[in-house]
Amino acid sequence: MIAAVGAPCGDYGECDTFKPQLTNIESLQLGALTFINHCYGCHSLKYSRWGRISKDLDIPEKILTENLVFGSDVKLGDRMTGSMQPAVSESWFGIAPPDLTLVTRLHGSDWVYTYLRTFYEDLSKPYGVNNMVYPGAAMPNVLASIQGQQVLSCKDVPIIASNGGVRRDEYGNDITEEKCGYLKTIKGSGKLTQQEFDDYIFNLVNFMTYVGEPSRSVRERMGWYVILFFVVFTAFSYLLYREYQKDYH
Amino acid sequence: MTQQSSGIFNWINTRLPISNTYERHLSKHPVPKKVNFWYLFGALASVVLIIQIVSGIWLMFGYENTEEGAFASVEYIMRDIEYGWIIRYMHTTGASMFFAVVYLHMFRGLLYGSYHKPRELVWIFGMTIYLVMMAEGFLGYVLPYGQMSYWGAQVIISLFGAIPYIGESLELWVRGDYYISGATISRFFALHVVALPLILIALVFMHLVALHEVGAGNPDGVDIEKYLDEDGVPLDSVPFFPYKVLNALVAIGVFGIVFSFIMFFFPEGGGYMLELANFEEANPLSTPEHIAPVWYYSPYYAMLRAVPDKLGGLLVMAAAIAILFVVPWLDRSKAASIRYKGILSKIAMTMFIISWLMLAWLGTVPVTALRTTLSIIGTVIYFAFFLLMPIYTSIEKTKPVPERL
Amino acid sequence: MEDTLTTRRKVLIGMTATVGAAGASMAAIPFIASWNPSAKAKAVGGPVRIDVSKMQIGQKIQVSWRKQPIFIIRHSKEAIENLSKVESKLDDPSSLKIEEPYRDLNPTRSTSGEYTVIAGVCTHLGCAPKFYPEIQPQPWDDSWIGGFFCPCHGSMFDIVGRVFKGVPAPTNLKVPPHYFDGSILTIGEER
Repeated sequence: MIAAVGAPCGDYGECDTFKPQLTNIESLQLGALTFINHCYGCHSLKYSRWGRISKDLDIPEKILTENLVFGSDVKLGDRMTGSMQPAVSESWFGIAPPDLTLVTRLHGSDWVYTYLRTFYEDLSKPYGVNNMVYPGAAMPNVLASIQGQQVLSCKDVPIIASNGGVRRDEYGNDITEEKCGYLKTIKGSGKLTQQEFDDYIFNLVNFMTYVGEPSRSVRERMGWYVILFFVVFTAFSYLLYREYQKDYH
Repeated sequence: MTQQSSGIFNWINTRLPISNTYERHLSKHPVPKKVNFWYLFGALASVVLIIQIVSGIWLMFGYENTEEGAFASVEYIMRDIEYGWIIRYMHTTGASMFFAVVYLHMFRGLLYGSYHKPRELVWIFGMTIYLVMMAEGFLGYVLPYGQMSYWGAQVIISLFGAIPYIGESLELWVRGDYYISGATISRFFALHVVALPLILIALVFMHLVALHEVGAGNPDGVDIEKYLDEDGVPLDSVPFFPYKVLNALVAIGVFGIVFSFIMFFFPEGGGYMLELANFEEANPLSTPEHIAPVWYYSPYYAMLRAVPDKLGGLLVMAAAIAILFVVPWLDRSKAASIRYKGILSKIAMTMFIISWLMLAWLGTVPVTALRTTLSIIGTVIYFAFFLLMPIYTSIEKTKPVPERL
Repeated sequence: MEDTLTTRRKVLIGMTATVGAAGASMAAIPFIASWNPSAKAKAVGGPVRIDVSKMQIGQKIQVSWRKQPIFIIRHSKEAIENLSKVESKLDDPSSLKIEEPYRDLNPTRSTSGEYTVIAGVCTHLGCAPKFYPEIQPQPWDDSWIGGFFCPCHGSMFDIVGRVFKGVPAPTNLKVPPHYFDGSILTIGEER
């Protein structure tokens, strides 16, 4: 009787939780750097402008134009329309890489965070990799050298009895069975450890969450003041209402 | 100076009924002195109407009603226009809050029999407002031209195709193209920002004029006109200004807390107010996996899906709205308010609430066999509530309605 | 049920009204601010760069900045020397009447001693003045010493855009913010 739709993160099941830190400027800056170095070659952020990122992320214009912006004719007020011709990329990947400005709003940051960490080696695929969240993704794992080799592996897991407990044999040992489909990173094959890589992706997705809605941190800050205003207004108007209610009670 | 200005005032007043209108509709307009919070949603609905009109005008400054430009112009409003995001979220939150407030307002009507004689016309104007609002909400939802705008509109416009003989050509005529294109957007835009708001404002005006003619009801269903003082003012009433205005102010304050909490912290409403698929530009070649309407249409969408026949589904959905119009003639009870109605009415009301909420949930989730069965049950209960109303309201024993408030 | 306006009521009405008015004015801010030029307009209206070294001496060119004609004139040495001679005809030779970013910098009114950068918008009613650099009698002035003449209402300016006495235009032509980086002129930005 369970709905016939898959889990939110495909073969991976439930997505890993992602809690954005939109006031963590350092994380956003690192994320922007990663995005521009590894994603912007193919994916645009066409609703966003360079100048806005420079302002919101405290990146001085000079540093932005010298280190991040590709092309000398790009002006700070320009939209981040990407550095690849759609026709070229379509012939490379079969489809044009989508614009990523709103991807975290479309799929949710959780999804993107999980997706980027669940590439694994699969030689049957054109790029030699597959993805657990989005099987058959037409995208190479551009971060493979950083993450290292990730493969699907099998491991022994306890069998859960129908009463919810772990099934045991007559000696009291857990009964296990071999289950497959677990992601495993081969130690030392990448530049970063698994924890460091998770942080690296966190910063990237944090930046992408920011780009999805650049006014979000302002919005959440402003919200408290607006609510505070209405609380005060309600208090005064309630006192006034009670005062006038005396006339007919 | 004072004399001079009162001279000007008199000059205008003898030509324009300012004092008369003020006295008739505000300072001397009698309203029942004992009502509860259910009676505040009407005032809140007019507040949201104003919010929608103002924020809507401001959105028009940045919105582009073309196939190529619509989606990008919404992001332009969200990013490039100063505080554009506040204005857009105000409008999207406002749309949901408008329906929330109007649903509560309508439910109050059902609960306390606000449609009872002599308030049938007030009810009918109100129902027409609701109908126009549904159209207005649908048209507005198409404008950002995201995936859900496109496919939602595709589903709704396809409903016209269910009409025998003329259906298909009607579909084409509504779209003005072979798909939902720029031609569709620009006509939907004109209807959404000019035609329907004009009708809506006119209807609200009629709703209020009719209400002020017959006077507001109360949760006891007492006719306050029975006992008047020597000036002909009902004894159980207070003037609208200042007493009810102050009451409305408190309501606006509380409503403001709720509204701004949603607007500033949950503008997407968990995907029920701004559907996530709408963050992707419309693509006529790829349908999203799951098409669901925004929450305020979902009970009727569930009914549509419950019927395994295209025309049948359309008719059931239309009937579900149409039947609300005739409620004043279905209710045969001597008591207007649920407080004095019999046990049968109370059971029916409870079943109705459960079925409506269940249908609202079912309309937002993907179909399964069980859910389809539940939708059918919900639809049957929904219609039974209305169709059996003449029977259970006339056979049950009502409690005596008090003379005074 | 008499409506007595006690002190308590007056105070509460005052407080509620004040809070309400404060809220209304705060709520007005986004609506007012949203009429400011958007990020898109600002990007389109961003600084304009031009290499002026290829201009001939005495040449006037026109560039567009924020959809406004900007005149760039490369003066000869003699023309600059002549500038002080016409001062008696001018209303405001030192540009004291207008907000000048580069007041008294150079006779050219720009940050360069050779080029003049001015908005080609008459300060009278917004027509575009025409450039008549030759020193020769003109229908509107027998002793014309070169400069700008506005065909709309006959305002006259000298070759660096300073207004003559007795014409409808109230002030000198405006100098837009600009700077020179070698021969690269940037209009719309100061350094």
